[in-house]
Amino acid sequence: MNQAAYNDASLFHAPQPEAHDDHAHAYPPTPPSICKLGTIIFLCSEAMLFGGLISAYLVLRQAAGCWPPDFGDGIHLPPMPKLLTGINTVILVSSSFAYHFAEVAVKKGKSGAGWILTAALMGATFVGIQCIEWTELYHEGLWFNKGGIYGSTFFALTGFHGAHVCIGVLLILWCFYLQVTKRFFTPQRHVALENVGLYWHFVDVVWVFLYVILYLV
Amino acid sequence: MSASVTADSHAAPAHHGDDHGHGKPGIMHWIWNTDHKVIAMQFLVSAVFFLLIGGAMAVAMRWQLGFPGHPIPVLGHLLPSGIVNDEGAIMPSGYNVLVTMHGTILVFFVAMPLLIGVFGNFLIPLKIGAGDMAFPALNELSYWLFALSGVIMMSSFWVPGGAPGTGWTGYAPLSSVAAYNQTPMGQTLWCVALFVNGLSSLTGAVNYITTVITMRAPGMTMFRMPLPVWAIFLTAILLILAIPVLSAAAALIIFDLNLGTSFYKPQGGGQPLLWQHLFWFFGHPEVYILILPAMGLTSEILSVNSRKPVFGYKAMVWAMIAIGFLGFIVWGHHMYVSGMNLTLSAAFSVSTMVIAVPSAIKTFNWMGTIWRGSIHYTVPMAFAVSFVSMFVIGGLSGIFMASTPVDLFVHHTYFIVAHFHYVLFGGSMFAIFAAIYFWFPKMTGRMFDNTLGWIHFWMTFVFFNLTFFPMHNLGLGGMMRRIADPTVYDCLRQLQPLNVVCTIGAIGLGLATIPFVVNLVMSLRKAPDAPANPWNSTTLEWTLSHPIQHGNFPVTPTVYHGPYEYSVPGLQKDFLPQNEKAPAHVTLEAH
Repeated sequence: MNQAAYNDASLFHAPQPEAHDDHAHAYPPTPPSICKLGTIIFLCSEAMLFGGLISAYLVLRQAAGCWPPDFGDGIHLPPMPKLLTGINTVILVSSSFAYHFAEVAVKKGKSGAGWILTAALMGATFVGIQCIEWTELYHEGLWFNKGGIYGSTFFALTGFHGAHVCIGVLLILWCFYLQVTKRFFTPQRHVALENVGLYWHFVDVVWVFLYVILYLV
Repeated sequence: MSASVTADSHAAPAHHGDDHGHGKPGIMHWIWNTDHKVIAMQFLVSAVFFLLIGGAMAVAMRWQLGFPGHPIPVLGHLLPSGIVNDEGAIMPSGYNVLVTMHGTILVFFVAMPLLIGVFGNFLIPLKIGAGDMAFPALNELSYWLFALSGVIMMSSFWVPGGAPGTGWTGYAPLSSVAAYNQTPMGQTLWCVALFVNGLSSLTGAVNYITTVITMRAPGMTMFRMPLPVWAIFLTAILLILAIPVLSAAAALIIFDLNLGTSFYKPQGGGQPLLWQHLFWFFGHPEVYILILPAMGLTSEILSVNSRKPVFGYKAMVWAMIAIGFLGFIVWGHHMYVSGMNLTLSAAFSVSTMVIAVPSAIKTFNWMGTIWRGSIHYTVPMAFAVSFVSMFVIGGLSGIFMASTPVDLFVHHTYFIVAHFHYVLFGGSMFAIFAAIYFWFPKMTGRMFDNTLGWIHFWMTFVFFNLTFFPMHNLGLGGMMRRIADPTVYDCLRQLQPLNVVCTIGAIGLGLATIPFVVNLVMSLRKAPDAPANPWNSTTLEWTLSHPIQHGNFPVTPTVYHGPYEYSVPGLQKDFLPQNEKAPAHVTLEAH
């Protein structure tokens, strides 16, 4: 028993308490690995949120026959701007790389604030171009309540995603602020930076899917 | 807390905010507190409050069905004017509101918080030997999001148009077109409340999964975890995967109602059936979200009160995993009459019937657990045994409806109402009552009153069956769900005496909550009198005596064996706590 009990062949080993954790009444900060696990579980639920929306879109599009749908009212719905959004996609994906370089820099003991700011600015640029695109589509006659499900699904999916990007930009700016003013993230302590990074990469991956199904095919 | 710990510099940050140490806790102690045990009590009080409201709605509905058009004796004038007329009798539109809000409240504001919010919070850290949840502040946020969603949901009664009357399933296009439902504001608030409630569930689930994976005490391997922990862990995974789909679907209803989108409107290329797919993709796992924790809690209570190990512990775990997985591929069995492809119906029919296999494994293992046990007839044991019996009735009628040809006839009749009340009330609520009585000494440090407990049990058991068993006959006799007055249909008039029987049962069931609430309140008023381990139980929470400090275990316990070592041959006591080593001459069957 005893020591062997610790090493039972189970999928997840019970963690060994660290020496300073022994008295349960104290509140050491939650260890980084646990914070990361929590973030990943949260992102699984985010994936299901987008999974639900994307399947709704695919079901409606499948049923519509042709895309953009033809409601027989003689109105030609505008095609999606593939090129502009393609460039936008490259910007958003690049911001993930910029953010990754920031994390690498922080782990090496450097500030990384430049890379953090670059990622935030690229994210903000993405939102800006997306706004321009929304405005153009509005002038071409496509909106939440115009163009039937063609407009509804497009604006709902890009809207949900855009909201996530905006939150991500704010989180990255918050990291930037902490790093510039307090040099908050160090090689030893950067779990918040990593968690924001996980969220940011997730938002980028979701966009790649959205770009493919909303614009390309 | 020992002096050496106090002297330790690491202990210093502990004394902030919610932890006032030795004085009497102030009001803030109950408002913002990151202690998982206090959060469990917050959920308990809120959920019992909602249980009384939702239960009163059910009694009002039953009154209308038993005695259509007659003013409700006591409740009549307490209900909002949109629901009852001047004489205090329920109007048809008001009946729809009651159906909707009763279902929504009981599922999202009673059963889920009681099973997951109360027992998930209270039991997970104590049973796995952890000091608290992985993210204590997130845990408290989860409670307040729940409370906020409750306020939003109830506020829909007072907005123009009143609360929605579209059923707890909120089928589109009834729910998504203002001209159809006449309650666009109420319906929007309903969706917003479910969205916020979903956030609460998600923050809770993130906490539970992370805590179970990372914070188990040394020696507490996954297959040494007590079954309630396993059950709530799996439930949390279901929550993570199912709730976001409901949130997405509800958001689309809000857009359709308020922004003029056309997700569920055929005129714009949308599909009403899309809502049903999204809703039931969430809705069927939700059924298992409501029953898995109940199964876990019951397994433990049966084992303790039979003084025997849980029969087939690992089979119990794998059966729950199987039920959780299968729960995601059966949602179409709610939609046989919605115009779904028949081949698809057959597939959903088969996958649904397969769920009977793990469910039967669990049922036989419960019987195996109490078989030849030294059964202790306690109030929690009575509720737990009733859980098994009622769950079998509800489960078997479920197999009827899994079969498409049978479902075509019984769908949308009272047979369905009988079925899901046998699993949700006879199943989940009986397990909740069992668990409340079982862990009451640990949660409050006080023993409940046995006589009142038995009165509560017998009233609940008898009146539950009196209310819901005749509904099988009503359904097979052709009575439709969600009708405000069965007597306007010629074909249903001969069934009216049965409706009166159901109503009498429902009134009795309502009265049965009186001894329950009186018992809770009276027991809380007396001084702590419960021994640390009144049931001679083996799991870690019973090693702590009242009051359990913030942080739970003074010394992190070490676990040496599985959770249910009762009546081990060769031991003097008939139970072996998880943190006690077995003597050298004793061999344990489980690892």
